[in-house]
Amino acid sequence: MKRLLLFLVLITLLVPSAVQAQENDPWSEVFQPDGNLNPNLIDLGVTTDHPDWMSIDLPFGQSIDLDANYHRYQTPSGNIVVLPSASTLFFMAMNPQESGLNSSYGSLGNGYGSLISFLGLVAGNNLDWSRVQADHPEYTSPDQFWSAVLNGKQDAWTYFSGWGFITTLLQMTWNDAALRSTYLLYLNGSQNCASIPGGCSGMVTPPPPQRECPDPSVTMQQPVLIIQKIAPNNPLVIGQDFENRRGADIQVAVTIPPVIFTWYEPIYEERDICRAAKAGETPNCNTRTGSNVNDGVSDTERVFMGCRTHVEHLPDAVASLQATAALDAASQDWIRSQLGQSHYGAYIHQANFALIPGLGSWTGGCDGGGTCMATGQALRVPFADPGTFNLRLDVVTTGTRFRGIPITQPRRVGIDETMQVYLTLPALVQ
Amino acid sequence: MKEIPVSKRNIIIAIILAVIIAVGILVIENWPFRNAQGSTPSTSKDSLASAAAVSAIEKVFQVDYREGKEAWLKRICEVSTPAGCQLFSSGADRMWEKYVEAQSVVTAVVQATEKVADNRIEQVWRISITLSSPLPGSNKTQDTAYVVLVETDSGWKFDRFLMDAEINAILARQKITDTPAEEGKR
Repeated sequence: MKRLLLFLVLITLLVPSAVQAQENDPWSEVFQPDGNLNPNLIDLGVTTDHPDWMSIDLPFGQSIDLDANYHRYQTPSGNIVVLPSASTLFFMAMNPQESGLNSSYGSLGNGYGSLISFLGLVAGNNLDWSRVQADHPEYTSPDQFWSAVLNGKQDAWTYFSGWGFITTLLQMTWNDAALRSTYLLYLNGSQNCASIPGGCSGMVTPPPPQRECPDPSVTMQQPVLIIQKIAPNNPLVIGQDFENRRGADIQVAVTIPPVIFTWYEPIYEERDICRAAKAGETPNCNTRTGSNVNDGVSDTERVFMGCRTHVEHLPDAVASLQATAALDAASQDWIRSQLGQSHYGAYIHQANFALIPGLGSWTGGCDGGGTCMATGQALRVPFADPGTFNLRLDVVTTGTRFRGIPITQPRRVGIDETMQVYLTLPALVQ
Repeated sequence: MKEIPVSKRNIIIAIILAVIIAVGILVIENWPFRNAQGSTPSTSKDSLASAAAVSAIEKVFQVDYREGKEAWLKRICEVSTPAGCQLFSSGADRMWEKYVEAQSVVTAVVQATEKVADNRIEQVWRISITLSSPLPGSNKTQDTAYVVLVETDSGWKFDRFLMDAEINAILARQKITDTPAEEGKR
């Protein structure tokens, strides 16, 4: 129930309410007047990071490193729009300086207004408001408190009276990658890498503009990722497949269309001219028509004739590929509760699998047209628990270069799918 | 779905067995010994939560690189909330890599020393831990942990370790309220 409520409030934040972008406002190149994202934005995909401010320290110097997860876009002028996952946004808000939240131009619409709403909805019920008011009577409303937290002037941790909501929020984020509610804008793109969440991963680096010709442009299409079970049709838990212990075969495939880099070469022609003679030069032509007196010197000059368009198909190869399978929370609950009631001692055998690398491997390469592909398989994966497995494929690309100049940075992309593993249950029949 | 035919005789035996088990459970539940414990519900709740904390932390620090990460995580997840299991599993890769590299084989003796927070459905316990040998990245064999336990339908479960900021906040609060607080971090 608690999870459902949290999910609903986050969903209500998903749709950017009214886009108030003004003409000269940097947000005006992010959204169209109807509130949709501007199609000119370059989708940089999802970037993950392991920042210190999302690390949980354990005793004996150990630590759990949580993923910060951002979906990012680059605007035509080079600004970066960042959509953190819900849990990442929560930790950013709790660490506004370290996370770079305070370096942002602001969040969509009304500065930090939507962030304050987000914090109130996600964490408000887990704050001890009576203690907040006793210690800080100057905060006459929760919004003032959250505003001080976002400005780094107030520590929120002191006032939490509930703790489990953080794991619930993290779990919801992992199970629904699209749960993102707030757009943050960072100005000056690649000149400002250090302060942008996710750094410069995947960012388009435009070369210096040419004088006479249009600026070069980069077009990127999103890679196509597939992770799926290929056999058998209805995998059975291996514990009930005594003879074969067949398990299931998982296949992954990645197709990365080439990055289209269009640049323009200025074309010049050499022409004979008569230029003004410099000191010490002997005049041999005249610079004025109709004159018989030589006052100039014969020379040549480069004349701009136009621009030649070059379209390069740059390969962005797969640098690393990782596939995993994880039994979802509902199935784990079902095994422990419902299945446990009818089959005493039912337990979860193995909830997580490292498919590739681990149980399988991958190979990849690029063709002459710049399209890069990678495929991999994990065969006979020994699924021992019934239910829904979340399949996750994460890919990092090499980025692209042209004549030694980096054009795009490495991209991190991922996809989630699901597959079912079945269990045979006895049924009473007459 | 497969259908397995069951004879009438087997159904009758199954029903009789179910009745015997149900009666047995009722008798055990209402045994005088249980009633005596039930008279102090908060203490009972605390002891169940602290036992869950001890069990979970023992499993976290019971490391044997030879058995593999999945076996280690499986033990931890059995005593964790689903979200706690997912949290620990998703962030433990680097930790396990270090254990494999250092060929760690470690066991832990764990004691729940103090309940430091309680909101009825969640409790935070301070846990003292003694390891049989140090883990990679530290030469300590004794340390303190602050862990969150959540009451679920299947009893108290380990949810997560508190973060530094949360520990500092709780310790600061204890100082203000003059509650005796042992020194220690995490």
